[in-house]
Amino acid sequence: MREISAAYTKTIKELLREKAALFWTIAWPIIWVLIGSFSFTGSAPQEVIPYIKGSIAISMMVFALMIAGMSNLPASIAGDRANGLLAKLKSMPIKAYKDFVGRISAVITLSLLAAALVIVVGIAVGARFTGSGLGIIQAIGFVFLVICASAGVGLMAGTLIKNLQGAIMTGVGIAVITSAISGLFAPYEVLPVPLQIFSRVYPISSAQASIVHLLAGSDMVAYNPLTYGQITLSVALSFLILLVGTVLYSRLGWRLD
Amino acid sequence: MFAIHVENLIKTYGRRRVLDGVNLDVRESEFYALMGPNGSGKTTLASIIAAVKTQDSGIVEVYGSKPAQAKEFIGYVPQENFSSPKLSGRENLMYFANLLGHSRKQANHLVDEMLQSVGLSEEADKRVAKYSGGMRKKLEVATAIFPGIKVLILDEPTTGLDPAARRSFFSMIQEIMDRKTSIILITHIGSDAELASRVGLIDSGKMIAEGTPDELKRKHAIEDVITVEMAVKTDSVLTVLKGFSIDERVAESEAGYKIYSRNGDRVLADVVRSLDQAGHKVLRIEMARPSLEDVFFRLTEKHLQEATG
Repeated sequence: MREISAAYTKTIKELLREKAALFWTIAWPIIWVLIGSFSFTGSAPQEVIPYIKGSIAISMMVFALMIAGMSNLPASIAGDRANGLLAKLKSMPIKAYKDFVGRISAVITLSLLAAALVIVVGIAVGARFTGSGLGIIQAIGFVFLVICASAGVGLMAGTLIKNLQGAIMTGVGIAVITSAISGLFAPYEVLPVPLQIFSRVYPISSAQASIVHLLAGSDMVAYNPLTYGQITLSVALSFLILLVGTVLYSRLGWRLD
Repeated sequence: MFAIHVENLIKTYGRRRVLDGVNLDVRESEFYALMGPNGSGKTTLASIIAAVKTQDSGIVEVYGSKPAQAKEFIGYVPQENFSSPKLSGRENLMYFANLLGHSRKQANHLVDEMLQSVGLSEEADKRVAKYSGGMRKKLEVATAIFPGIKVLILDEPTTGLDPAARRSFFSMIQEIMDRKTSIILITHIGSDAELASRVGLIDSGKMIAEGTPDELKRKHAIEDVITVEMAVKTDSVLTVLKGFSIDERVAESEAGYKIYSRNGDRVLADVVRSLDQAGHKVLRIEMARPSLEDVFFRLTEKHLQEATG
């Protein structure tokens, strides 16, 4: 437990002291919540605008979670490999999985902090949410799916891409490109059919649609993401991505030969 | 039992054999320097002893066990600066103390001790980003000398340090040696290796020579060079200088003479006395000792610094 706590404390302190990580994970999504809330509500009826703002805040919260997992996690792994820390750790009597649990817990903490701040700012600029207590709990479950899938991608990028900048840019690239083509930044109905299919299959956009459906209303989503099949697919793919990332990190991340 | 025993060690990357039948023994409490140019295999050897990499074949033992089973005895300081610049010196050490399973109270106590032993108590709460290169390397050594460590492996610890920082670093190493810790220093700097009790020279994955610094110099016929500058160069001066033992060679240089000797200390004293007795005025006299770089060059015809560059 002390090993996990040591890895957690180190990683969270580093993340909270890294201005670039804080900007891209917290400030950047908040900036887009502000811009989106005042620019993209357009000619929508007055009574719908708070829920459009709510939908925008949720999308940016998901983007913040993606950046935390896909960029900050690989940066932490690749950085520690590049500066010799992984070699140092490998020479010590400690287990790789404990380091992994500590690191990922820190990233989850930063993710939740970023998510909370984005939602608070969203509410401050007029976002409103619907949904019952059960809906909120279900939405939190989908938030965890986003964290799992993002962390899985981050683990893969940090493990497979040896160069620090390469790992960061790959993570950011995956986050930005998949967000753009899966409808995170644009209405689902304007996407071409192949991308609509991708949007339903990609667990992060599917989870985002589910959260919007639960908290901003079914009118804000062009399809019903809460079908049994859709949820099963999202859960299965999220855990599969995390599992692949974890196995790769445990098997290859600490291999320095 | 040796602290470290390496026998016929072979390691290959692709088609390149980076370690080719290396044998090495380090005694308990010994300060051993492994010197060679970049690409000679010394870092690979250090990483295998530190349980970071594995060998293709051969035996590696740390206190009689395979490195992976002896990790609690091994303190490894890789060449890179692995301490986190975003954390303070104290936070970095607390991280390692906690990783090693020490309770908060124990860790606090140990970290204070470690900081004191490497002379960083006053800078403990500064972020490492504000440390000098020497301070950072000392902090990293501190992560490798927690109680129970019997073998300290330092990979190129003085690269990039200025002379004052290097002196300070080796004073700290001397204190660590007083704790009966065996030290392996990986280096390509001859003056660092001179401080060790024994030196192994490695080139192209093979150990090419081993011994104390003095033994290596003697064995490989490296001579001291005494330079004598005179107010006036005359035949009688040359006669005096050539009057020493036949082991010494004397050559004229632009401003005086050069004497090559394998026993420079004695000859230097004799030269000063003889010239003084003969009434010759000496402007300057100095002796340059051979270095381990000279020994390496004699054995391989490669310059260490050029080879590393």
